[in-house]
Amino acid sequence: MDSTIDAANSVAATDDPQAAKDAIDAFTDALQTVGKWFQDGEWFLAELVYAGEISKETMKILTPLIEGGTLESIGTIVVGTVAGDLHDLGKNIFISYAKSAGFNVIDLGIDVSTDRFIEAVRVHKPQTLGMSCLLTSTDMEIGKVIEELKRQQLRDQVKVIIGGAALTQQFADGVGADAFAPDAVTGTDIVRKWSSS
Amino acid sequence: MDFKERILTTLNHEEPDRVPVAGFILSQVTSNRILGKQTADFADMLETADLRRGLMDIMNSSWLDMINSALADWFEAAITLGYDANWTIYSQMEVVEEPKFKQGLAMHDIWVRAFELRVDKDGNTAANYVHGLCTTENDWYSWVERNRPLYDELINNVREHHRLMAEKFGDRILAIGSPGSGVFDNTWQPMGFENFCRFVYQKPEFMRKVIEFHTDLLLRHLNAIMDSGVELVVGGDDLGQKTGPLMSPEQMEKLFGESYRRVSEAVHSRKKKLLWHTDGNVYALLDKFVEWGFDGVVSLEPTAGMALGEVREQVGHKLVLVGNLDIAYLLVRGTKEEMEDAVRKAIKDAAKGGGFILSPCNSHSAIDPMRLEWMVEAAHKYGMYPIAI
Repeated sequence: MDSTIDAANSVAATDDPQAAKDAIDAFTDALQTVGKWFQDGEWFLAELVYAGEISKETMKILTPLIEGGTLESIGTIVVGTVAGDLHDLGKNIFISYAKSAGFNVIDLGIDVSTDRFIEAVRVHKPQTLGMSCLLTSTDMEIGKVIEELKRQQLRDQVKVIIGGAALTQQFADGVGADAFAPDAVTGTDIVRKWSSS
Repeated sequence: MDFKERILTTLNHEEPDRVPVAGFILSQVTSNRILGKQTADFADMLETADLRRGLMDIMNSSWLDMINSALADWFEAAITLGYDANWTIYSQMEVVEEPKFKQGLAMHDIWVRAFELRVDKDGNTAANYVHGLCTTENDWYSWVERNRPLYDELINNVREHHRLMAEKFGDRILAIGSPGSGVFDNTWQPMGFENFCRFVYQKPEFMRKVIEFHTDLLLRHLNAIMDSGVELVVGGDDLGQKTGPLMSPEQMEKLFGESYRRVSEAVHSRKKKLLWHTDGNVYALLDKFVEWGFDGVVSLEPTAGMALGEVREQVGHKLVLVGNLDIAYLLVRGTKEEMEDAVRKAIKDAAKGGGFILSPCNSHSAIDPMRLEWMVEAAHKYGMYPIAI
């Protein structure tokens, strides 16, 4: 991490927005490579998380330098952990990788009620709603949010992706989610495909 | 054969009279439903500050009695279901006020983890790990120093708890002694996984000290359990996530290999067997489990892709396999036919030659007792040796 931070600080010292943009692009490519190695079973979660931590630190240094202080977004994702569940590791890894892929991510945090998910969809008009759930005892919260989206006629305006230890593809099919992500990198790949289609 | 002979024969990779069934009922709602007892509904108490504080005081002043009482119910429920073995477990915790949590209470354990204490609509009390309490190296040393007097209390209570369980239930069911989490979980959870990953790369000497500390404490814990006379202990670290291990086998070996070997040697030196519980997809670690000296692996979570046939093919009879019944759907909402199919398949894939104990792959309060009965019925129906499926 130290050498990457040093390199980012060197770029920052030039005060050149284009150099910062180039560095961010290079970093994004590197993170995608990490993701691919993870999916191929060459790298493991600890390496994925550490790369995500390096990414967070690096982006903090480089992003303010580019014009407007924000990266150009390829889409908006609202994401949160469902009501009754306070776990956020998987969600946070997904956020790191989705941000590095160019998404604007609205993180609602943990223990997010159905009402807060619905309100965020109304306010931010995301292309994707991501819900995370580690506990089997809270998995039905996902179905409640999807039903409420339907009731409020918002379902066809947003794709729903779900992930977490308690969930399976079978569960996703049962509650009517658009996709199930077994891990954060696959989740990022899915939303990237949606944004380009 | 009685339950004890059945389990011990299985652990030696020999065929007993029938496939044993074990579990870890860890929910008061589940045990009460099995035993026909009412579950105390004290969720409302948590809404009022004074009552909440009163409840907290009661829990803290009678922690050991409370755990002993809960475990006694869980054992009675396991016996009622017809299990051959059930886990016994003791963890040292303190209930504290935590306004950030919905019902205002947290539990801090002596390994410096924070759990949210929550009472759900069914009256079930659950404590779920949320985060660690130390984010820096200095924090960790401070907490260890602060908790030092509690470690002796833990060991004394562990010894007392397991002695009581063995005395009360030893003639009806085999107790699988468990210290709860192991060295890996006890290392990363107090600092959170992100900090842990940073420390692994940036502070390896600190990590070495943390791991050594937890290994020493775990060995004291396991010895206290074995003092009660249990034949079988189960250690536990969640080493896998849905698609693979949390860390590479090489990194696990470098960081934790020596620790796990010490644990195995300590258990084997007392002529006991050591199973290891881990959730997640752990195919890549199975060979390491054998190298580290584990006698078996517990959980084999089907929703993480663990299939008994593939596991048996990979490790042969070098490991006893325990678990594999799905708790996400099958034991919550599955049909009787689906249960029979799953049990039959598990027995077919893993039971030949012994070395297989049928069990739910984990435990939570939404597991349906009726489906646990179906599981035991199916095990008795299809699990008679010689296996003829």
